[in-house]
Amino acid sequence: MTLAADSALLHEADPVSLRNPDSAPPHETLNERKRRFEQMVLPHFDAAYNLARWLTRNDQDARDVAQEAVLRAYRFFEGLRGEAKPWLLTIVRNSCFTWLAANRPAETVGFEDGAIELLPSDDDGPEMQAARNFDRKMLNDAIAGLPAQFREVLILRELEDMSYKDIARIADVPIGTVMSRLARARRLLAESVRAASNISGTQVPK
Amino acid sequence: MTNDEANTLLHAYIDGELDPAKTLELEAHLAGNPSLRAACGRLREMSEAVRLKADYHAAPAWLEERVRAALPAEPKNGPARPAWWGWLNPAGSLAAYADWLRPAASFAAVALVTWVVALGVLRPGEDERITQEVLASHVRSTLANRFYDVASSDQHTVKPWLSARLAFSPPVADLSASGFQMIGGRLDYIGAQPVAVLVYKRRQHMIDVFVWPAEGQKAEQTQTRDGFNIERITNNGMTFWIVSDLNRDELDDLARMLAERSAAP
Repeated sequence: MTLAADSALLHEADPVSLRNPDSAPPHETLNERKRRFEQMVLPHFDAAYNLARWLTRNDQDARDVAQEAVLRAYRFFEGLRGEAKPWLLTIVRNSCFTWLAANRPAETVGFEDGAIELLPSDDDGPEMQAARNFDRKMLNDAIAGLPAQFREVLILRELEDMSYKDIARIADVPIGTVMSRLARARRLLAESVRAASNISGTQVPK
Repeated sequence: MTNDEANTLLHAYIDGELDPAKTLELEAHLAGNPSLRAACGRLREMSEAVRLKADYHAAPAWLEERVRAALPAEPKNGPARPAWWGWLNPAGSLAAYADWLRPAASFAAVALVTWVVALGVLRPGEDERITQEVLASHVRSTLANRFYDVASSDQHTVKPWLSARLAFSPPVADLSASGFQMIGGRLDYIGAQPVAVLVYKRRQHMIDVFVWPAEGQKAEQTQTRDGFNIERITNNGMTFWIVSDLNRDELDDLARMLAERSAAP
């Protein structure tokens, strides 16, 4: 469905307009530029690494991709408008998908949004049950098992506290797609944890 | 609103991304629909489970150092000359300009001294203005009975709601175990910038906590004005102004807890 709900989203309206005191001063020296980058962007290095780690699912690759993405961000520092965190995560995200396309092409294809049925129907109730009893490892495995497009929105939303608007910007999709991917991600996750519980014999309590 | 529509909006609702009109509409719908209410509860639980249990992979410290070191900077033997240097000194001889530079330099020195002095003199004035503004905001919200823009006792609703509307993400602590019930949050405009206001309640006392990013560490400050206690703390890059008619001791407790909670993410 196309989301009529889009119009109900808060972010259709511009957020409080903000001064941007961070635009590059004229005649900035290289050292000043570096210092400004360290103050504005590097505080979000953990977020960059976390996203890269969840998308590559591997420490070594996450290190390479995160490092490369931050150095790239430094080259394009002049392009920063507004908040640094979503801007940096956009670059990290793109680096990750470029890396995935080159190294694990199978992971970035085959999950079109078109086929997604957005609405959780009433009967998926039990699947969603008892999330508080989820086993930590099982949950982490289930998130790692999500298709990258869904994993990405879930991580940005739940672990990085990004708004729908920022996620839309980072993943370069409309807000409606962010909503449907997030709904899909949560549902897949619930199904996957439930399936894992059944296999391992641990019953998800009803 | 149909059930399908309501189901669609649940995600935006639990994420604090729904506008007030749709929120009211959805809540009215939820009130009359137990199964939808249950679905909403499960969804919140799911979201909570991911937040609490999914691994957050912080970057290794050495990696950040490595990246920092890899950022190009100038060679150690001094900064590159800025662009105006060539214009100011085309012949490469500073002497020709010395006569012209001398009065300019002394003018600059005078301007610098004036600026530093003015900064020292004006600083208390700025604190005073902010004191008045936070107090006015607090009194206005109680007079108008309009305490919050987003009503929720759940920090995971309030925090994203505020973060989505501000250029920073305010630390939002759940202090209900210590007797400070969070009841919501709102936006306000203090010291010429949009700020977050966290609204807590203790017994019948309303407490407003104004939060915005701070530069540097400022001294703690407490005062009483018009029967209200006002405290300021800065911690971990954030300034907190706390305003309430609650007694000083309990307000101190709150200030201490806010400082502790904002210390380590």
